[in-house]
Amino acid sequence: MSRRSSLPSPTALRRRLAHPTSRVLADRSVLDSLISVAGLVGRTVRNPAGDEVGRMADVVVRWDGSPYPPVTGLLVRVGRRHSFVDMAQVAELSSSGARLRSARLDLSDFRHRDGEVAVASDVLDHQLVDVDGVRVVRASDLYLAPVGGQMRLVGADVGLQTLVRRLGPARWRTRPTPDRVIDWAAIQPFSGQSRNVRLARPNQDLQRLRPAELADLLEELGRSQRQELLASLQTDVAADVLEEMQSADLGAVLRDTTTNHAAALVAEMEPDEAVEALRHLDDQERLDLLAAMPPANAAELTELLTHQQGTAGSVMTSHLVMATSTDTVAGIQLRLRSELEHRADVDAVLVVDEHGVLVDDLQLFELFTGEPHAPVGDLIGEPWPLTVHVSTPLGEVVERFIDARGSSIVVVDDDNRPVGRILADDLVDALTPRRGRFRFPRLLR
Amino acid sequence: MKPASSRPVHRRRWKFAALAGVLGPGLIAANAGNDAGGIATYASAGAQYGYRMLFVMVLVTVGLVVVQEMSARLGAYTGEGLVSLMREQFSLRVATFAVVCLVVANVGLVVSEFAGIGAAFELFGVSRYLAVPIAAVALWALVVFGSYRYAERLFLVLSLVFITYPIAAVLGHPHWHTVVSNAALPHFLGNHTFLFLVVALIGTTITPYMQLYQAAAVADRGIGVEDYPIERLDVISGSIFANVVSMCIIIATAATIGGTGPLGSAKEAAQALRPVVGRAAETLFGIGLLGASALAGAVVPLSTAYAISEAVGAERSVSRRFSEARLFVGLFTGQIVLGAAVALAPGNLIQLLINMQILNGLITPILLTFILILANRPAVLGDAANGPKFKLLATICVAAVGALAALVVIQTTAGWLGVL
Repeated sequence: MSRRSSLPSPTALRRRLAHPTSRVLADRSVLDSLISVAGLVGRTVRNPAGDEVGRMADVVVRWDGSPYPPVTGLLVRVGRRHSFVDMAQVAELSSSGARLRSARLDLSDFRHRDGEVAVASDVLDHQLVDVDGVRVVRASDLYLAPVGGQMRLVGADVGLQTLVRRLGPARWRTRPTPDRVIDWAAIQPFSGQSRNVRLARPNQDLQRLRPAELADLLEELGRSQRQELLASLQTDVAADVLEEMQSADLGAVLRDTTTNHAAALVAEMEPDEAVEALRHLDDQERLDLLAAMPPANAAELTELLTHQQGTAGSVMTSHLVMATSTDTVAGIQLRLRSELEHRADVDAVLVVDEHGVLVDDLQLFELFTGEPHAPVGDLIGEPWPLTVHVSTPLGEVVERFIDARGSSIVVVDDDNRPVGRILADDLVDALTPRRGRFRFPRLLR
Repeated sequence: MKPASSRPVHRRRWKFAALAGVLGPGLIAANAGNDAGGIATYASAGAQYGYRMLFVMVLVTVGLVVVQEMSARLGAYTGEGLVSLMREQFSLRVATFAVVCLVVANVGLVVSEFAGIGAAFELFGVSRYLAVPIAAVALWALVVFGSYRYAERLFLVLSLVFITYPIAAVLGHPHWHTVVSNAALPHFLGNHTFLFLVVALIGTTITPYMQLYQAAAVADRGIGVEDYPIERLDVISGSIFANVVSMCIIIATAATIGGTGPLGSAKEAAQALRPVVGRAAETLFGIGLLGASALAGAVVPLSTAYAISEAVGAERSVSRRFSEARLFVGLFTGQIVLGAAVALAPGNLIQLLINMQILNGLITPILLTFILILANRPAVLGDAANGPKFKLLATICVAAVGALAALVVIQTTAGWLGVL
């Protein structure tokens, strides 16, 4: 539940402490020269002689991959037409308007070029991700400032007062009120009108967020932004993120994604979480996804899906590390090294006989302290593992767990062959009522 | 905003499809119209004008289907609520105007829900001056301290009482020939009581709140582009079902006390259930009214508070503990206090209920215009934006609702100025 707290996450705090000065908004001179985008709209654009040629309609910015995207031009409303003025033609841009270098104005209609965004209409008032604070925000205002000799987008304001200011008379609107401004380097914008599926500029820090934090962000975003963000993550990261999402939201995300991408994501998830996700789809959707998956994954998941909900089989993970009593401790350690990816699901190694029947469950501690060249058979002995049958109801599993006091419990079939493992965190998930009590729309379900 | 661009490899069905006919967002949203205000208005229409309002209800049904379909489509294709879309698509001032209208309409609804609670308790012989404040505090506490979910189920069950209306409509032996001809043949009365009641009927049937709920519920349930055909079916059938129930309220009331003049009290309205339950009619009506009012009395202020938090970009805080969502809780509390306070004003509760529906009826065309503009925009809906024929139909609906509302405003101002 800690991820619901309003405090910045530990990751966010660490990041904030790491580079307090590399952000331009920390610079006094930048802070003093902020130009409000909301205030610019409607301001006059003058020719060198000082006569009005039109009104500012929008500011065009290029997502070029730099932390502070440069302003490439202005959209000027002349009569009923909108024309694009390149920044090279702009002699001066201030909060009171713009002055052009030449008297000539090219009246060609504006067309979106790749990577360019008209920020007043497509970013202002739209959803953004504050990567530092790990939350979804809506920009009440955007600020420009000259940085390194070029006008750049430097921050997004999310303050409520800023909204009130924009409702007021025109002279209020131009005055920047850096109230709750987020440095643009910490912002992940979305593509808006340019309609690229991929994020124009995935924020590097975004990749460093914890899966649970990314899952929170996904749950908050609108449909297209959500797909955009998901598509920018690598498949393995995206799968980890999906594991952290609420099942209902997860179903929605999978439904929005193409079948092939969804199948790749589900195949990458830990089997127990993947099964949980599949349970929230209907039969046809589930079959489509399984058909698009590598056959081995599909077979494993299909097997897991046969277990009834509310039984040990439905919450267990089928990812097990098994050994026979003749394997050496060193050999097992080597095997475990290749399991690094599944480290959250492996807390012990099962020892089985030649028929696959459970002999013992060796804790990692036992293996770690064991003699490297000794066979694992030497380690077998008390305490004997507690087991539950796949069809055991969850309530009983919990009771067994309380008796066992371990971090996991082994799930066996009719012949006492291990088929899965239930970890403490799986039980916590299964027992916790749907989280997010005050997630308002759910109050209505 | 752009519509989801991912094309599914297979046509997918949606898990919810099986349930769509039973409890889809379309059905829930449309039936929100059958709350305290709705029942008072429909019953009043039946009491005062007999079956004559049925034709208006047929027209209103068409309007309701058109409007709810647009709202559902906006929710499905963008995954966002209506208020968020307004903030993104319109200038801040225009969006603020829309939100203010919405808040006024919804506070009106909250008032009518508390009036409904008051009227229900008066049927049981409890003074509303005692019942309404206690109910307000109780509802507030239930929501804020978190056991609301269970209470909600109870209210829902209580409000199911009104399912007896269709039975009452049949058992009341209405003059079926008159019912059919009044429903099918166009007719209007020129007097201004009739006009006010028509606007109240529109206000309670096409409440702005319902569009808000429709879009939010569709977006939140993750109903996407592929699932949309089924959702559209749910919206259409849900809207029609809701209005058939509304028409049954009119028919049942008209059959028992039709033509006796304006509805004076909840006691009179309860007579419509007499053919089904006899002497228990008042108790049953009171139970149903209490359930329906208490249900909407919490849900309407909650969704208003949520919509505003969403628009200012504080939606995230709502997902957390209440103590951290000051704006949200403040808005919620404010509406409950205001709603309960107005419902305590001395006077006829039924008239108060109907007046609040007129208020909604005046605001409805404003919000419908915004929804229409959003649904017309390819920038919002891409290929799913309104086509020329639908655009024409929707524009006619919105214009008609707007014209009626304008007439009411003109008549009222003229009345104040002593012209009429």
